[in-house]
Amino acid sequence: MKKLIETYGTALAGLALFVFLAIFANNFLSTANLFNVLKQVSFLSILAFGFTFALITSELDLAFANLCSLSAVVIGFLISSDVAWPVAVAAGIATGLFGGLLNGFLVTVLKVPSLISTLGTASIANGLAFMITGGVAFVGRWDQNFLYLGRGKIGSVPVIILFTLAILAVVLVLSTQTRLGVHLQATGENEEAARRSGIDTRKAKMIGLALSGLGAGVTAMFLVANLSSAAPQMAGDFMLNGIAATLLGMTMFTPAKPNILGTFVGALIIVMLSNGLVLLGAQYYIQDIMLGIIIIVSVAVSASVLKRAAFAL
Amino acid sequence: MPVKISTRNIFKNYGAVEALKGVSVDVHEGEIHAICGDNGAGKSTFIKILAGVEQPDRGEIVVDGKPVHFDSPHASLTAGIATIHQDLAVAPEMTIYQNIFMGAELTRNVLGLRLLDKPAMRRAAVGYMAQLNPSITDMNAKVNELSGGQRQAVAISRALRWNADTVILDEPTAALGVRETEQVLDLVRSLKASGKTVILISHAMQDVAAVADRISILRTGKNQIDLEGGDLTADNLSHYILSGTGDRFH
Amino acid sequence: MKNIKYALAAASLAGAAVAGTQAYAFELGVVAFQMSAETQARCANTVGEKAKELGWDAQVLNSNGSLETHASQLDNLIQKGVDAMILCMSKPVQFDGQFQAAKDAGIPVITISSGASPHTLFDVTPNEYVMAAEAAIYTLGSINFEGNILAQKFESNTGARIRGEVLDLVLSENPQVKLVGEHSMARTKSWQDDVRNGMSALILQNAGNFGAVWASFDGQALIIDDLLKEGGMEKGDVALVSIDGGQEVYRRIKDPYSMMTATVAIPFEDMAASAVEMMQKIAVDGVAKEDLVPGPYLFIPATLVDKTNVDEFIVE
Repeated sequence: MKKLIETYGTALAGLALFVFLAIFANNFLSTANLFNVLKQVSFLSILAFGFTFALITSELDLAFANLCSLSAVVIGFLISSDVAWPVAVAAGIATGLFGGLLNGFLVTVLKVPSLISTLGTASIANGLAFMITGGVAFVGRWDQNFLYLGRGKIGSVPVIILFTLAILAVVLVLSTQTRLGVHLQATGENEEAARRSGIDTRKAKMIGLALSGLGAGVTAMFLVANLSSAAPQMAGDFMLNGIAATLLGMTMFTPAKPNILGTFVGALIIVMLSNGLVLLGAQYYIQDIMLGIIIIVSVAVSASVLKRAAFAL
Repeated sequence: MPVKISTRNIFKNYGAVEALKGVSVDVHEGEIHAICGDNGAGKSTFIKILAGVEQPDRGEIVVDGKPVHFDSPHASLTAGIATIHQDLAVAPEMTIYQNIFMGAELTRNVLGLRLLDKPAMRRAAVGYMAQLNPSITDMNAKVNELSGGQRQAVAISRALRWNADTVILDEPTAALGVRETEQVLDLVRSLKASGKTVILISHAMQDVAAVADRISILRTGKNQIDLEGGDLTADNLSHYILSGTGDRFH
Repeated sequence: MKNIKYALAAASLAGAAVAGTQAYAFELGVVAFQMSAETQARCANTVGEKAKELGWDAQVLNSNGSLETHASQLDNLIQKGVDAMILCMSKPVQFDGQFQAAKDAGIPVITISSGASPHTLFDVTPNEYVMAAEAAIYTLGSINFEGNILAQKFESNTGARIRGEVLDLVLSENPQVKLVGEHSMARTKSWQDDVRNGMSALILQNAGNFGAVWASFDGQALIIDDLLKEGGMEKGDVALVSIDGGQEVYRRIKDPYSMMTATVAIPFEDMAASAVEMMQKIAVDGVAKEDLVPGPYLFIPATLVDKTNVDEFIVE
């Protein structure tokens, strides 16, 4: 019983939240609102998947939200400079990936603890984003094919939800069904043991942080396509939400371990909560307070892994 | 029994410190060979050299009659020598089978993708563990749910996965309770029973007396005394280590 | 198990209570893009207060300056099915999709200082060009259209940029006034330091050689005021003119030791009140939008504040 609650408690709480909102929040169960919720989950979860991979290797990535903003700005800059949108998107995703690789290099080669090095790259990414934009957002009525990525619908289903489910499937298989996934996990669990077992732990950490950057780049593509604009602080709010989704995810399925499915359900709970609070008529500050509580409680529940990552100085 | 591993006049200096000053030990195939000695006698340096972690300044290692040169832990492993270090280096939050197959996971083809073959790993893990400790059957159990002796079995199973015919155990009973120590000694005996050669480094004279077929006592970087096990007591051994002289020299 | 039941029961009651109190009131969704900016907080809070005075149920949300959060909050409010929305400093192009969805759902939207959109009723805004012209002409007037001035600009914000351009236009028609030094502020988190460094250099360079300082917004003017004081100047030595309005600026206009001379006060409270009032007329009373506001903008007059009228603006 205790183990069941440990494993599925948070997911059940999410289910309870769903039922609660279904009963008390007007329109929560409408098809349009459910798709609305899933669409909002999309951005958050793709970004948080990346962070989850970094955390699986016991490294923090505090740069992912700023990298996402920078990638978005790169895409916006290129599109508004009349570069073909697929090229712009490729450059944006490459920007995120490069940022992740840079974090990996700093952590594994220069041995700068990830807590510090990613804080540094976060600041650099922020500076570059302001440098490219001069602080002004790129805005335009851009190519419909590009905007389709973020705004398109098949029937009444936003396409971004389909993309997200596909990405979820890929990262789920990657993290739990492949050698690479196990190697990332082993590196995070006991680096020395992994190294002695012939796992290239530096490469593993590099890949974990690179995936975090890649997630930022892919999210940027969807964000820009959804809002038809790119601003230097575009994804600023995702920092806390992304971390919260991942930490909440660590309280379920494989307790105290960052895991993809947990992160997805964590994102689902956070978005459901913010949607539900609006539907219930709560004022804006309630959301921040709730988010803070979620973060603190999830960390308290699954402290060990995060401590290892944060204090491996 | 033929000689499995033989070292000839191994020297190793760390700067001005002479850690080993000519160690020559013959380890016989299928035997449990204990390496004893006081702190600083050179036990751990000797083991690091056999494990390929350190390289000797002078001297020769011969395995199965052929001179070998271990420039890395991997070279030692491929020569059939698996070393289980004192800290075991297991990942406590991961399962038994994941630990046993760490770094060498089995895969199968699913729709052109190479995915983990978890059932095969679990089956094979049961096989490895059965040689050592048949009481453990749940390969999905996390290592941190196991006792110290059981963890030792996991670490040894991981070594066996490499098809090692020699297993080096570095202080396997340090920090273990009485019952767990007994479990580990059973592990050592079952390794011998399955035909493996075992090199056992230990401070615990009772343990050595209980299982060792042959004992080399190191003192200030040399193997001072070589003994045959069997009728030795822990007190005898302590006496040899402290006095540095052997009544029965072989 | 028993505890869980109690918790569920309590949560259900709380939910029912929340749902119950909101059953019949007119629901107004209010979203401010970045409430940590004082002007936006004033705007959104005033909308909330005015709506409550009408007995409406006003829900105020803050997007924390994040485009995506803003879009999500708009989507959520549309799904909630609010009766109307008033948005502070929103962005019509970015949220085109959301505005369209609101229109399709029959939710009237009034924006404040956001820009016009075909999907909203109108945007309530001061006329940036008129305000800028007033500040520029007042600055030149303070030195009788003759002499030298310094200017602190800011290019990265549309409104502030317009103010600078209008100043340049006014200067080009008055060649007897020379802009002897100007500094353009970088958009960083430490913009205060940037203003301090740039301006103190200009003040030293041109010591005793300028009669007025123009700043593109009040935040800059407050820093420049401190610099001038540190330089040993007294009220009347130079004129300091800016735009935005706020209690601290009014206090300094009255303060005998401050250089602060005048500001053009954007009436955020008036704008917020107008937005609510118009929404009441259109969404509740059924007055046609065209009868109230002919075009896409409802311009709210800004007021120039100096020592002659500052007392009317100071809230004790």
